[in-house]
Amino acid sequence: MATFPAAQALPFRDAWAGARRVPTAVILSFAVVFIVVAWSLLPDLFTHHDAYVGDTSQKLLPPSARYWFGTDHLGRDLFTRVVHGTWASVTSAAMAVAVGLVAGGLMGLLAGFLGGWTDTVVARLVDVLLAIPNFLLAVVIVSSFGFETTNIAIATGVSSVAAFARLMRSEVLRTSTSVFVEASGLLGGSRWHILLRHVLPNSSRSVLALAVLQFGTSILIIAGLAFLGYGDPPPAADWGLLVASGKDYPSSPWLVFAPAGVIVVTVLAINRISRWIRHAH
Amino acid sequence: MSLSPHVSHAASRIAQAVVVVLLAYTATFLIINVLPGDPISNMLLDPDNGFTPEEIAPIIAYYGLDRPVPEQLWTALSRFVVGDLGISLRSNLPVSGLVLDALPSTLTLAASALAVSLLLAFLIAYASQNLPPRLGQGLIRAIPSVSLAIPSFIVGIFLIQVFAFQFGLFRITSPDSFAATLFAAIALGLPVSAQIAEVLITNLDHEARQDYFAVARSRGLSRAALFGRHQLRPSSLPVVTMVALAVGELLGGSLITEAIFGRKGIGSLVQGAASTQDFPVLLAVVSLAAVVFVAVNLLADLIYPLLDPRLRRRQAARIPAPDAETLV
Amino acid sequence: MHIDRLAVSRAATEILRVEDLSVAYGRQTVVRQAGFTLEKGKALALIGESGSGKSTIAKAVLGLLGRGEAKVTGRIRFKGEDLLALPERKFRALRGRAIGFVPQDPQNALNPVRTIGSQAHEAARLLDLPDGEAERRAILDTFALIGLADPERVYRSYPHQMSGGMLQRVLIGLAVLPRPDLIVADEPTSALDVTIQKRILDLLMELRGALDLSLLFITHDLALAAERTDEVVVLKDGAVQEIGASGQVFRAPASDYARRLQADVPALNPDRFRAVARRGQEARGGGGMGIRVEAVSKSFHADGRSLRAVDEVSFSVAAGRTHALVGESGSGKTTLVRLLLGLETPDAGRLTVDGQAVHGLSRDALRGLRRNLQLVYQNPFTSLDPTWKVRNLIREPLDQYRLGDRAEREARVLDTLRSVGLSEELLERRPAKLSGGQRQRVAIARALVLRPRVLVLDEPTSALDVTVQAGILQVLSELQAAHGLTYLFISHDLSVVRQIADTVTVLRHGRVVEQGAVEQVFERPAQAYTRALIDSIPRPRRAESAPAPARDHSYQS
Repeated sequence: MATFPAAQALPFRDAWAGARRVPTAVILSFAVVFIVVAWSLLPDLFTHHDAYVGDTSQKLLPPSARYWFGTDHLGRDLFTRVVHGTWASVTSAAMAVAVGLVAGGLMGLLAGFLGGWTDTVVARLVDVLLAIPNFLLAVVIVSSFGFETTNIAIATGVSSVAAFARLMRSEVLRTSTSVFVEASGLLGGSRWHILLRHVLPNSSRSVLALAVLQFGTSILIIAGLAFLGYGDPPPAADWGLLVASGKDYPSSPWLVFAPAGVIVVTVLAINRISRWIRHAH
Repeated sequence: MSLSPHVSHAASRIAQAVVVVLLAYTATFLIINVLPGDPISNMLLDPDNGFTPEEIAPIIAYYGLDRPVPEQLWTALSRFVVGDLGISLRSNLPVSGLVLDALPSTLTLAASALAVSLLLAFLIAYASQNLPPRLGQGLIRAIPSVSLAIPSFIVGIFLIQVFAFQFGLFRITSPDSFAATLFAAIALGLPVSAQIAEVLITNLDHEARQDYFAVARSRGLSRAALFGRHQLRPSSLPVVTMVALAVGELLGGSLITEAIFGRKGIGSLVQGAASTQDFPVLLAVVSLAAVVFVAVNLLADLIYPLLDPRLRRRQAARIPAPDAETLV
Repeated sequence: MHIDRLAVSRAATEILRVEDLSVAYGRQTVVRQAGFTLEKGKALALIGESGSGKSTIAKAVLGLLGRGEAKVTGRIRFKGEDLLALPERKFRALRGRAIGFVPQDPQNALNPVRTIGSQAHEAARLLDLPDGEAERRAILDTFALIGLADPERVYRSYPHQMSGGMLQRVLIGLAVLPRPDLIVADEPTSALDVTIQKRILDLLMELRGALDLSLLFITHDLALAAERTDEVVVLKDGAVQEIGASGQVFRAPASDYARRLQADVPALNPDRFRAVARRGQEARGGGGMGIRVEAVSKSFHADGRSLRAVDEVSFSVAAGRTHALVGESGSGKTTLVRLLLGLETPDAGRLTVDGQAVHGLSRDALRGLRRNLQLVYQNPFTSLDPTWKVRNLIREPLDQYRLGDRAEREARVLDTLRSVGLSEELLERRPAKLSGGQRQRVAIARALVLRPRVLVLDEPTSALDVTVQAGILQVLSELQAAHGLTYLFISHDLSVVRQIADTVTVLRHGRVVEQGAVEQVFERPAQAYTRALIDSIPRPRRAESAPAPARDHSYQS
């Protein structure tokens, strides 16, 4: 075969994009998330105090080397309670994301890919879900199904269905009208091949970014609902519940701000990771 | 004739809005009734709640609780469309009265929160574009993402501890005072302002990268004129979308804010109804929120063409290009 | 720099002098010690391909580089004053008033949510007229001057209500309205149809004479620069390769890069690929019909209006030959491609490929037909799935048609990759790590891996630089010679058509204007429209005013 002129050299910017380093803030965020996950899986590794039985002689002590986050009105170590409350807060948020991702993702996928009346039905469903504020939906579900953390997790997941469905639909529409999908059809690709190998992989990045973001948002919403008393009752140690019981002791502000700080730092880290996924190349 | 596409577009959007409200009502009704053995009867029959059989009988008759669920739904829906929201199980008062009493306080709070969040969002967005990079522009740009990670109940507690207890700027014993309302509005509006600011900054950045921004700049416009005409003005549409979507959040968020600041309103009404399983009240509040949300979004939809001339459908006729004439 | 006795008289005629200009974004330097001089009333072209830094230099002159992001060193003297040393506030006074700007893409150069009139007032305000009414009169006068038929109506319109050509006229109008001394025009016509390009350039040159403007003209097109400007500066990778009188650089380029550029410009080398193609055709001889299109029509309906996109079009392509479809936007050429590939159904008429009708087939039969009929898209940046590696991209058709076993498929992929001039180390890369030319070669390999007999090429080089384009056209000619492929080549660029096609059909508004052998249509066009298209190919002026000697390499300071 004949020889051809060599193809153009690689532009500098493209070569550089591949070697891009992970920003420090993102590495820190991953470290935070790693610690939080470790707390939830192996709480006893991090603390040796009892999460539920306190020493009343040690009540309402400010943070110290012995009690990192201070103690509460029953003399329980707050840091231990925060660590032990992690499991409930993290798993319920994960459950919420799973509900939203599976239900919303499927709805959006079908609406975008099938179009027609499926699209119309999904669009109305999404409108309905958007029209009911997520806190109110959670209150209705909890009132009807019982005041439990599992129920507020499901409720939070249901309210995130609309966001997932809308994003998935627009991503599917964007990719399935793209030129490379039409090209795959001309190259003999079947509808399923196109959906599974072209449309889904190209939609996955932004859906993953939303799932991560929604994980953080769910932690906030579930903490808010636990704060209002819709989750498991005390002595459970859900982060939101810790803040709620702490606010009754305004002269011991660490009871509020220690768990609040943990919530904020965790969510901040998760949001940063989501942003990184969305913008990384 | 020339108006008809506009009118028919509006009509179909209004019809859609009505359908969405009815569906929202139905969905909430079904959530309440999805478990076997309807929760209202269960609640009434719970001996701990202390209803006498004489009290229960008229309630069951009124809601048709002895009939199948679809029939109950039909009864409830047909009352809902004429504005009858039923009777509270707890207080025996008409739900519409309870809701109307609670509404002004919550609307005041939500409107103040919206005003606060728009003001904050605008200030942050303005600073993000016009501060020199060295003077903390990066810090300003981090504000929205940080405030998105702080839930409003923490903001609320913080504001109370600092401004009520430390500085005495307001008293939580008089939650309806101007100062208390303002701080409640800040707590409720902060997460919303972060969302608006984020959308606004993204769009302002986008506009600043557009060719027309560079071309306008090459015309020697001042920084302020560039910002107002060529950045802010084209960014207004996504902001309207964002604000319309945030209305639901403001209504839902009032639950927490009212609880923390001790305000009486829709939020405290819901809190009470939830703890006593007063389902007619919950149903009424959810459908009211859906009506408000749908109405605001409908309004947003109808003003889009005012903000972006490309969405004005009836001006479809293009001016013929002179470049084409001579060659025909 | 040394001051000689000419300095005084030079300074009087000099309007812009760029010295030792470097621009860097972070660690990436995009302009390296560039220097050139523009004299008053003259036109100077900055020529280069993408990444050459030509637009960055234009932005530096306009003061539009973000001062935070870009690091700019050197001097840009405008009427003797160093623009780079000016604070933003003082620079602003020069923008519009002294230096005007005509941008590349007119469709996005006006704010879409404001009327053209309101944006024109921003320019008119620089004239310091007594009131808004006076400004309005100045605006309408300018609109009339630039050839807009109904100035009042344009004044009231929004940008989306006007065509690209009209918008570019408006933009030129807004740039000249405040009577600047210098106009910077950044590829002002590359987004427009060819016949409109010529009119816009004519207008710009006419205004330049009438208003005594100096012009800094940025372009990728050497022929265009030679036709329209006095002096050219050839740039590559941010560095000046050659400066000289345009006729001189064009006729006898001194630097290697300019020579290569000149050799790759299609308009200057109409017969470059002929020999290769002829060789292949003579070896095979005629072999029946590749494509036959008979009286095909297609209309689209939208908003209650109907548009006849293709109207009774007929043409045929002999097997092993290249036929070009030429037309501007709205000519129906894209619709014809989609009809031919079975992506649309015609209202009337018949299309056959290799003797087989395209329409009225079952799904499987159409799939079978497409094994023999493949498409290369215009834009290789959108036609390749960004999540796939090159290996899988090229193998996809083999997998889908289940051809051969695993080893055979691998071998075929490698073979095809090499045949388009790519090396196998690219196999594991994703499209984002390929250059535009490499991507288009991958797209061609993907289309050829099934060994089809007919290849439809939809403007395959219009998104690429001229030197890259030349490489792609070379590959296509070689492949045709080797495999006897039939090409349907869609293009708006007549000079490329002249290089690569045997026969041509000129389309306009969905109808055939003229067709025939390329030599015949180009040498003796029968229709006025064809003639207008051919006239729009830039024709550099042959030796006129005493040419200054071409100076090799960078500006001496």
